[in-house]
Amino acid sequence: MSKRKGKISHQPLGECITQVQRILRERYCQQKLAKGLDGVGAQHKHLEELLRRTAVYGESNSVLIVGPRGAGKSSLLRSVLQELLEEKEVQENLLQVHLNGLLQTDDRIALKEITRQLHLENVVGEKVFGSFAENLAFLLEALKKGDRTSSRPVLFVLDEFDLFAHHKNQTLLYNLFDVSQSTQAPVAVVGLTCRLDVLELLEKRVKSRFSHRQIHLLSGLTFSQYLDRVRAQLSLSDDFCDSRFAQEWNASVKNLIEDKSVQDVLQRHFDCSKDFRSLHVLLMLCLSRVTLAKPTIKASDLLDASRLCLADCKTNMLHGLSIVELCLIIAMKHLNDVYEGEPFNLQMVHNEFKKFLQRKSNSMYNFSPPVIVKGFEHLQQLELVRPVDGSPKTQREYQMMRLMVDRSQIMEALQKYPQCPTDIKQWALSAFA
Amino acid sequence: MAGLLEHPGYDEERLKRAAEQLPCREVQAGMLLSLMGEPHQYCYPSIFIYGHRASGKSHVINVLMKELELPHATLSCVECVSVALLFEQVLRSFFGCDVASLLPRSPSLTDFVRIYRQQSPARQTRYIVMEKAELLRDADANLLPALLRLQELVEDNVTVILLSEIVWDTFRPNTGCFEPLLLHFPDYSKVELQQILSQDRHPSFSAELYSFYVSVLLGVFYSVCRDLRELRHLAALNFSKFCEPLAEGKVKETDTHKLWKNIEPHLKKAMQTVYLREVSSLQWEQMQQMEEETGALKGLSAHTHVELPFYSKFLLIAAYLASYNPARTDKRFFLKHHGKIKKTNFLKKNEKTTNHLLGPKPFPLDRLLAIFYSVVDGRVAPTASIFSQISSLVTLQLLAQVSHDDQLDSPKYKCAVSLEFICNISRTVNFDIMKYLYDFL
Amino acid sequence: MSTSSVSKGCFVFKPSPKKRKKQDVSQESYFIHDCAGPESGQRRFKLCQDLWKQIETETEVLQDELHRKILDSLLEFSRKCSSARCHGDWASQMRASEIPTAALMLGVNVPDHDLTFSSLSDLLRQSVTPYVVSLQAKECGALKHLLKRVLEGLMETVVAVDDEDEADQAACHVQKSVHCSLTTLCDWYIIKTKKSSNDTPGKKRPSTVTDEPEQLPPVVVVFKDLEAFNPKVLQDFILICSRYVHRLPLMFIFGIATSPSTIQHMLPHSVSSLLCIQLFQSLSCTEHLATVIDKFILTHQFPFKLTEKVLSVLVSIFFFHDFSVRNFMKGLQLALLEHFYTQPLSVLCCRKKAALHHATQLDHGDLERIRLLPSFKRYVEGQEAEEQVNLMTDDSHLKEVCQKLIKTLHKYHKNYYPTLRCLHALTSTLPRHLLGKQIRELHEACLRKNVWEQENYQSAMKLLKMQAKDELVVSLRRCAEILRSVKSKTMKNACEQLEELLCRFQQLDAAVDVAPSEDECVLSPPKNLPKKTDLFQLQKTLLEMNESRRSKKLSPFEILRNETVEFVDGLVRSHLWPPESQPLHEVCYYSSVATVKHHLNASPRTSIQVALSNPDHYLENDSLKTEDGSLSSAAPDICIAYKLHLECGRLINLYDWLEAYATVVSAAKVDPDQDAFGKVDEVKHARFIRAVSELEFLGFVKSTKQKTDHVARLTWGGC
Repeated sequence: MSKRKGKISHQPLGECITQVQRILRERYCQQKLAKGLDGVGAQHKHLEELLRRTAVYGESNSVLIVGPRGAGKSSLLRSVLQELLEEKEVQENLLQVHLNGLLQTDDRIALKEITRQLHLENVVGEKVFGSFAENLAFLLEALKKGDRTSSRPVLFVLDEFDLFAHHKNQTLLYNLFDVSQSTQAPVAVVGLTCRLDVLELLEKRVKSRFSHRQIHLLSGLTFSQYLDRVRAQLSLSDDFCDSRFAQEWNASVKNLIEDKSVQDVLQRHFDCSKDFRSLHVLLMLCLSRVTLAKPTIKASDLLDASRLCLADCKTNMLHGLSIVELCLIIAMKHLNDVYEGEPFNLQMVHNEFKKFLQRKSNSMYNFSPPVIVKGFEHLQQLELVRPVDGSPKTQREYQMMRLMVDRSQIMEALQKYPQCPTDIKQWALSAFA
Repeated sequence: MAGLLEHPGYDEERLKRAAEQLPCREVQAGMLLSLMGEPHQYCYPSIFIYGHRASGKSHVINVLMKELELPHATLSCVECVSVALLFEQVLRSFFGCDVASLLPRSPSLTDFVRIYRQQSPARQTRYIVMEKAELLRDADANLLPALLRLQELVEDNVTVILLSEIVWDTFRPNTGCFEPLLLHFPDYSKVELQQILSQDRHPSFSAELYSFYVSVLLGVFYSVCRDLRELRHLAALNFSKFCEPLAEGKVKETDTHKLWKNIEPHLKKAMQTVYLREVSSLQWEQMQQMEEETGALKGLSAHTHVELPFYSKFLLIAAYLASYNPARTDKRFFLKHHGKIKKTNFLKKNEKTTNHLLGPKPFPLDRLLAIFYSVVDGRVAPTASIFSQISSLVTLQLLAQVSHDDQLDSPKYKCAVSLEFICNISRTVNFDIMKYLYDFL
Repeated sequence: MSTSSVSKGCFVFKPSPKKRKKQDVSQESYFIHDCAGPESGQRRFKLCQDLWKQIETETEVLQDELHRKILDSLLEFSRKCSSARCHGDWASQMRASEIPTAALMLGVNVPDHDLTFSSLSDLLRQSVTPYVVSLQAKECGALKHLLKRVLEGLMETVVAVDDEDEADQAACHVQKSVHCSLTTLCDWYIIKTKKSSNDTPGKKRPSTVTDEPEQLPPVVVVFKDLEAFNPKVLQDFILICSRYVHRLPLMFIFGIATSPSTIQHMLPHSVSSLLCIQLFQSLSCTEHLATVIDKFILTHQFPFKLTEKVLSVLVSIFFFHDFSVRNFMKGLQLALLEHFYTQPLSVLCCRKKAALHHATQLDHGDLERIRLLPSFKRYVEGQEAEEQVNLMTDDSHLKEVCQKLIKTLHKYHKNYYPTLRCLHALTSTLPRHLLGKQIRELHEACLRKNVWEQENYQSAMKLLKMQAKDELVVSLRRCAEILRSVKSKTMKNACEQLEELLCRFQQLDAAVDVAPSEDECVLSPPKNLPKKTDLFQLQKTLLEMNESRRSKKLSPFEILRNETVEFVDGLVRSHLWPPESQPLHEVCYYSSVATVKHHLNASPRTSIQVALSNPDHYLENDSLKTEDGSLSSAAPDICIAYKLHLECGRLINLYDWLEAYATVVSAAKVDPDQDAFGKVDEVKHARFIRAVSELEFLGFVKSTKQKTDHVARLTWGGC
């Protein structure tokens, strides 16, 4: 999968498109970023410095990379490692152990994983260890080079670091930090987490052994920077197989960014979130519309994509409800208005609905009670209403519920609703229940 | 309309075939396809598809997977009573049974990921399709987040597609997670429904007739029911009725007006039982014959009458009174000559008629018995069978025991039957319950 | 809790077979220890056993034919479903993805359901599919267990009918699949069906399946008690099944006790829309009871009879407490047992021949007992002096007489029941059902006292006298049929008379055809009689009709009608005597209501009261017997404590209580030496404390916060 392709100057369009798709998809799907993250230069330098110390000079270190989800923590680390590994001695020296809080759910599993990643299964064999510490020590010991003077530096990457803090009395963290404190073996412990309060999670003994280094990725990004980022994410590198196409592409991207409507859309997204991932979703949607017939991203694509991203799920769901269920929802809304969001049960809703029917002369909505119950059940299944946690023994009719949709969503849905009877619309709008 | 699907990297023929099987879902299918990209290209790590029941979520996915012969594992989360089952199915359908058998007895996510990584990397995107994804929330906490970023964890070109009727917002764990790419399948419009329903036409009748029938059906039901599955059921239910006059030769297929006149009232009646699914179409016809004589259309919901032994009836009545009347009013109701408790001062206006809104209140056993003895006429010995009847009413779900089973001392119960039910019961033993209900004084 | 049901009497738990065996042995010994000679005891025991066996077998037959109808329709349904799968018409194709489901309404008498289900699943196995598994709620707490049950159930059943290699294969299936999923079942099913289709047309496969080889036998899952299932589990299971329905022809049967709407309560639409539900109503338990009574009570086949009181107790238990026919039969069994156990003369309670035979071998003791029988005494008084002497002294003579009497008794029964049926046939159609809608009620009335002396009967006769012709003829025809089937002599000629009457009615018709003019005035009075009207009305009209009758001459029809009614009345008067009138009826009739009540409708509270207030009743220790309700001081501590606490008010001062107790107890001492008298030593104290705590445990007193060292009394009066 290397991007290094033959430097043929020109290629058929289809081939180019395929390439574009491939490259950009890889970029968006697994954060294979284009060279150099913008805006995080400082953090990048800092981290690289730390890791080099471990890798080259055998110093132990521990650091936390903290930042909101999708802020590019993993990408930062990845790019740093990429650069480091280009140096030969690092490459042959440094060992990496990648752990993930999602996978290594307890320390026993984690230790097995470490053993595996260090390729020491056969060394460990059937040995039994008194304590976790012994085991870890043994592993590190086993890594000593042939001349037994200094052991190879190991880089421990703990993704979802906060989850490790929940393991039983934090043995793993304790030992790792302990090792990183003592000089028995050069290790670097890098934790990635999205929790700012992560230190609070650590026990005292663990915290004390942690060098309180933290790298924060709290992007205080301006809109113009954001735009640059978008362009960077979209544009192709110059080592693209077909240089001419690449130029055209990048040019088109440039135009796109400068488009007014596009900027508005991006502004909205920028206001929602500045992180990479939401951006990637957006761009992914745009990219998916690039075809042989339409080899560039048009403004319209971006608009549609953003519409998809920003669409409100609940309104979408409300749109598909049957009249019965819609009536129930409206009744609940009224109840909410009257009783200031006090929980309600089916009986009350039904009464409310009946009131409405009494006011109406024509009886086209008077459904049999079982039908009403079914409708209510369905709403509950869709979790548009939620039971207030009470005793589960109560019958369905009397279970207290809360409405999970707010009036604006209801109103919006009503506007979109196909063939919505006017009287129901009025009922929904009417202030008095 | 068909053949609208097209995408490089897939066989035209297959695409065409797929498109034919996906009426009125070309847009969504095309969308999906373009997201998937060409087989060897990466697809977004996780896609979350939501939409109402019978809006073709799993249908579209399955058709695409099958027709384009993509490597995929489809599984429903209902079935995965344990994560082990889930892992096992995925591995089996990707790498075959022998790989699946590598899983340890109670596998953890790590084992799964490890085994997966040991396999050969994908030459084209692999898909894991999970129906009823909402159940993943009940599985252990980090299963869902891990699945969402599985692509990154196994470092392979794999995409997890989650299908659910519930919006994504309720899935998000409190520390957040990798956000999937949301995709909404809107419900079918009336026209689309017409088009789809018309496809399964009766072989012995012309397509026009059937599509006319469908249009009539939609005309009646569309306002109350947009569930394709339900509509199809209704169509099957009423079609025989619809073509009765044709069979009798009274009407020609052409004069649709007569046909409409004939079917319309029946559909109107059927409105009352929409969604209830009480009867198979066969029994529906029987019932309609019945209704020719009796004139009343009855479904499951209609036979709510339950034949009970004499004392059970009174026990049930007593339970109902106990759970819907405030205890302080018992004196007034059941004492033969309750001094001077006047209506005025024992009725509190504010709590009037609330009990039937708020539902039954729990009551202790002895209160039940006390009311029972004062309600039932004639002196009844407190025999074992009386007590056993109480417990049996519980197993019949007519009473509900609120206190724990292990609490032998003074258990508490609730009455679980509706007002009309109890009214029927008390009519059979001619006991006027309304006079004893606090809410209806 | 799970075993409880509306019909849960004292008999809900089936005794395991071997337990029952032990019981039998002990029973026999009991019979022998009894006062009468061992051989008679054995004989009685044998008689009892035989009778019960007979009853049991016949009940099973009865059960089957009662359930036949519904079961047949059910089988029909299941066949249709399984056939519709492969070559479906349009409608069934529309529902191809739905799981056929039979909702079986069984009524609230849960104990009777087991029989129904067992016979049902047997029938299914024989005639539709070998793959039937039935589930009970209490074994299916979670989805896992339910699945496990289903898999094991199915695979085991098949294992049972197949050879060994299959067996351990299936076994390892279950073992291996730690997570037993339906996929396992699917694979297994496919293997099975392939195997059984290409080997010899199955040992278990019925013609319906074999004649169309492409059709696969469905897999039937029976949910015995739907109400008790956990809805969540059920829903999940159905959801899972619906994913396999194309590969695996599934079918459900819901056993519902209350009402079909439970299905809706349990299943949301999303689930119920996966099912294709069909209702099946089983026959009501009252009808069932009617047939049972008809078969075992209202027949002379069974020598053993119940008196009116016992019968009414059993029936009322049925109607007031549980609708369980099974329990009714148990009651019958109890009565049977009790009868043969307590009544030594029950040796004579058997078929005529055997009875006569036994009568010849009666020993002196038995004969003495006979002489003591009140009915026999009455009979003796009816005879002349020397005959009386003979009867009281001469055993051999008595034996002969006994045989005679037994003969008459049997004859009486022979005539009684047909007459009863006739009467019922005639009167059941009358307005207001004066003599009862059910023949059961009529029977009870006849047992109670001479039916013709009850005014209901008289008014019924009056009504008959003014019934319209066609109705009358119809019911008479029914009578004729009833009588025709009887073999006894008297009934035969009764039948002849009836026939003769009937044909006279026909002649009347003919006559009417000849002279229509007369016919008007003849038939007018009954014609203008309102069909359905209340009794008072009828009697009024009746009176004025008497007027008219007096005034104008009776039409031939009316004459004939009166004649008929007279005839029926005569029949009744000659045959429907209450059994008490018959000498030796005690031999066949079981009369002790108390025991039956005591056993079938136990009242724990009262028995505790009894035990506490007069312990000798249970301890059978005469030394404890006391008169005027006072308590002997030798009684158990708890009794004394109880007695004393009865005299206290709401709050009982423990110390006073203790004092009183001490005095009473020390009164028991033979020599009340003065100083120790009434003293409270540790032993007494301990005994007292124990007694009190026992009372507390029984719920008579409880500790209270209101006052220190007091306990609150909880019971008032004797309940």
